[in-house]
Amino acid sequence: MLPDFFETLNSYFQTDGRGFAEVFCAVWCYLAPVLGVLILWRCAKPLLRFRREPETWAWLVMPDGQQLPVTHWENIIGRGRGCDIVVNLSTVSRNHAVLTRYDDGSWSLTDIGSRGAVSVNGKTVDICALQYGDVISLGGVEMVLAPTTAEEVEEQKYYRTRPAAIASPGLTLTILTVFQLLTALQFWMNGKEDAISTVVLGFMAVIGLEWLLFMALKIMRRSSFEVETLAFFLSTIGLSVIASSAPTEVTKQLICIAGGIFIYLVIGWSMRDLNRAKRFRYLAAVAGLLLLAANLVLGREINGAKNWIQIGSMSFQPSELVKLCFLYVGASTMDRIVTKRNMLSFIIYSAAICGCLALMNDFGTALIFFVALVVICLMRSGSFSALALLGTVVCCGVLLLLVIDIPPHVLRRFSTWGHAWEDPLNGGYDQVKAMTCIASGGLFGLGAGNGAFRYYVMAADTDYVFAFVCEEWGLILGLLPVLAIILLGVFVARSAAIGRSSFYTIGACAAVAIMMTQTILNVFGTMDILPMTGVTFPFVSNGGSSMLSSWGLLAFIKAADTRQNASFAVRTAKAEEVEPYE
Amino acid sequence: MNKLAKRAWFAYFLAAAMLVGVLVIVVRYVVNGPDWMPFQNDGVIVDRSGTVLMDNTDGRTLADDATVRASMLQILGDNEGYITPYLLNEYGDELAGFNRISGTRHMGGGEGRMTLTLSAYVQRAALNALNGQHGTVGVYNYKTGEILCMVSSPTYDPWTVPDVAGNPEQYNGVYVNRFLHSAYAPGSTFKLVTAAAALERISDIEDRTFYCEGSARIGSETVICNGVHGTISFRQALCQSCNVAFAQIADELGADVLTNYAERFGITDSLSFDGFITKKGNFDLSEATAYEAAWAGVGQYTDQINPCQYMTFLGAIANGGQAATPYLVDKVTFGSKTKYEAKTEMGDKILSASAADTLAEMMHYNVVNNYGEWYFSGLYAGAKSGTAERGEGLTSNALLTGFVQSEDYPLAFVVVIEGGGAGSTACTPVIRQVLDACVVAMGS
Repeated sequence: MLPDFFETLNSYFQTDGRGFAEVFCAVWCYLAPVLGVLILWRCAKPLLRFRREPETWAWLVMPDGQQLPVTHWENIIGRGRGCDIVVNLSTVSRNHAVLTRYDDGSWSLTDIGSRGAVSVNGKTVDICALQYGDVISLGGVEMVLAPTTAEEVEEQKYYRTRPAAIASPGLTLTILTVFQLLTALQFWMNGKEDAISTVVLGFMAVIGLEWLLFMALKIMRRSSFEVETLAFFLSTIGLSVIASSAPTEVTKQLICIAGGIFIYLVIGWSMRDLNRAKRFRYLAAVAGLLLLAANLVLGREINGAKNWIQIGSMSFQPSELVKLCFLYVGASTMDRIVTKRNMLSFIIYSAAICGCLALMNDFGTALIFFVALVVICLMRSGSFSALALLGTVVCCGVLLLLVIDIPPHVLRRFSTWGHAWEDPLNGGYDQVKAMTCIASGGLFGLGAGNGAFRYYVMAADTDYVFAFVCEEWGLILGLLPVLAIILLGVFVARSAAIGRSSFYTIGACAAVAIMMTQTILNVFGTMDILPMTGVTFPFVSNGGSSMLSSWGLLAFIKAADTRQNASFAVRTAKAEEVEPYE
Repeated sequence: MNKLAKRAWFAYFLAAAMLVGVLVIVVRYVVNGPDWMPFQNDGVIVDRSGTVLMDNTDGRTLADDATVRASMLQILGDNEGYITPYLLNEYGDELAGFNRISGTRHMGGGEGRMTLTLSAYVQRAALNALNGQHGTVGVYNYKTGEILCMVSSPTYDPWTVPDVAGNPEQYNGVYVNRFLHSAYAPGSTFKLVTAAAALERISDIEDRTFYCEGSARIGSETVICNGVHGTISFRQALCQSCNVAFAQIADELGADVLTNYAERFGITDSLSFDGFITKKGNFDLSEATAYEAAWAGVGQYTDQINPCQYMTFLGAIANGGQAATPYLVDKVTFGSKTKYEAKTEMGDKILSASAADTLAEMMHYNVVNNYGEWYFSGLYAGAKSGTAERGEGLTSNALLTGFVQSEDYPLAFVVVIEGGGAGSTACTPVIRQVLDACVVAMGS
């Protein structure tokens, strides 16, 4: 019934209603980039302008009466200049102890291998719960943990919750909805008759999904929706690419968006409580290894890389989900980062993952994991473990290069890199076609569904999706997804300074590094600025596994959002509003 | 956490790298956008009188006449992709109506139309004149630069593709545009280079006489002549194509001066126009003995010329030492907009006016006293033939280079017939038919 209606109207637009359809498409090609820029701008403003001055959570009163502010939830105390609380006395170790605040406002103190030992109220301890007023001794230097005053709490709460901090996300989502409705309308008017109802209903379903998620988060009293809006914007463009290149796969992609949102919610829930998150780590570690092992046993080789598993008619890329597991294992709270045992287990785990990847022979994926590994090591390396870790990274990198038997098609891509136009019929064919189609699209595009790129290049809607978007939507809208990923990167970097826990910060940094690297390789590979490595553009490329992992990565980024009531990953402010102990 | 916050700076670096990349993409789009658009099967291509050579508006159709279609094969390309249509790729963006704002999307519709300077009528005549012999014919207007004729043989009608692989002899090098992308040994036509150099460098060259007894010793070896000319003047030496006289002149000029002139005349350079880059010729005396240098001055040794480039040298001789750079595309329009319009560009002044005029007059003397004015449509023409040996057991290549000096028909030409034998005998009948056709084409 409904499909009939869609098709009837579609054929009307192709015949008697042609004039109206043409006028609409002519207007829409200019309106689309305007809406796109508006959505991006409205998301960018709050992400780039939130307050991030350090907040004081408690005071450390020194023997001479001097008060040192405790500005993080996880603080390294020590003599070293990089410490959060610097106590420059010779008996204090460079990194002496970690002072941790928890969701419920309680504190703990952990010795991180100091020479002078840590004692609380006269008793030497390794790890100890801390009350306000307890006397702490670090290598003989005594200090007292003191609470913040009610005024300070009020002031900080005011800054965190003032209305300007979060722009109305509902309006932004409404604009996105208009964008989606008009995109669907354009497909309806211009699209091929087959599968037109799938395409139109597909866009409706995305609209439904985004408002459902928005409402769900509203009920959970979460008031920010910027990163999700960006993800839905990119997913919408990705959906239009699929509607143009393979309309029958729209439903599959939709299911994967829904699945991605589910993964996003699960990871978010797991990280809401750091203790739960730490338990999840073990699960993730095992799951990651199992997935890779399954891949090695059951995997199918496509283009020289054995990274696909076929289940029935569905093919699936486990390495995409292993990315999420790897981040989980890599992230860690501050009191554990610096202990040797933890470092060792992470190093062993990385080595196991690298070994599996080497066996799989997937160059692009190996590169992405390598970047994630480098970033995690960079973030985790304290002063004494830095050498061990960076050494591991370099060894793994060299090992990968030595072991991976780079397939000939990848080598050929390297040899034509930067010279695509000198070999337009063979090695440079894909890039040359990509650039031709980008030029063909101009600034405003040929209209969704009207491109020719999909006829020329095999991986048009995945590895070369940037050109696909540019041809059909124009260069302006084609660059917006790239800017959206840049925006996420800057947001994570800005959030790091006020991160609640190093667990969130490390996870978010690694997640955004993966997204940025994929975007760089995808876009600049298409443009022959970098060699083509064949990785997906997060959210935009056609691919179910990629969509799932993109949403998972987004959960890690969201968890780093420390704005009041912004992230579902951070508990509501109730605990933070607790009256100061006196 | 302070440490983490500092290390999170890597994300700023990545973001900055991405922004730089975005900027690079935008700049490349603005600068190179038109170059990204090779021929996309757009538009209509017509000759100078409007005859349709290719029409892509509804599928691809070609010229009505089979010989014209065959004559355009190496210029417009084949259907199988063995021949790169450099010309069409160069103007792909204009034919598609590309602009940087709206790409190839056109609200009002429209169609690309490329007008060539070629004449289908002359093309047809030239290919018929070659009559299946392998070689090339090119004619251009040395005052404006318009190329009227450019055919390369062997060729075939792209509508009825023959068995190329099965007949390697018959279709040897069929995909190569011989006029632009091959180089030939010039034979005696190269005496024009030596003569031009002598006119500028040896002040009394016109009063000199040479003695030819059929051969002469240069250095340690002997130059053989095509006859025994006895005492012979400079003018007669060119007319009779006396190897002895020209070897002695070349020897007197020396390797450095000869090389200097060959380079000045562009023999070792390539021409670029309308997406074509012609093949470079060769004139390398860096390791030549005195004998070899003299032999090179006669057009032997390792000398090679590209027909198209050499044609401009002939144009310069006819035009007081300076000729227009050749071109093939007159204009490209899209709808009512003119996207490209050719402009006449003069090449460098490569020869003094007096030397050029003297040489031109000497070449006219050749026509009157050697080749026969009858072969040049009754126009005031000058020419020099060449017979280039190809090695043991192979018939020589025949060449004829020359010009017409006339207000209405300022034309320079080059004819090459592979294995044609004696230059003038093989080529003069061909040039007569081609020039006749040119007169008709330019008159209409």
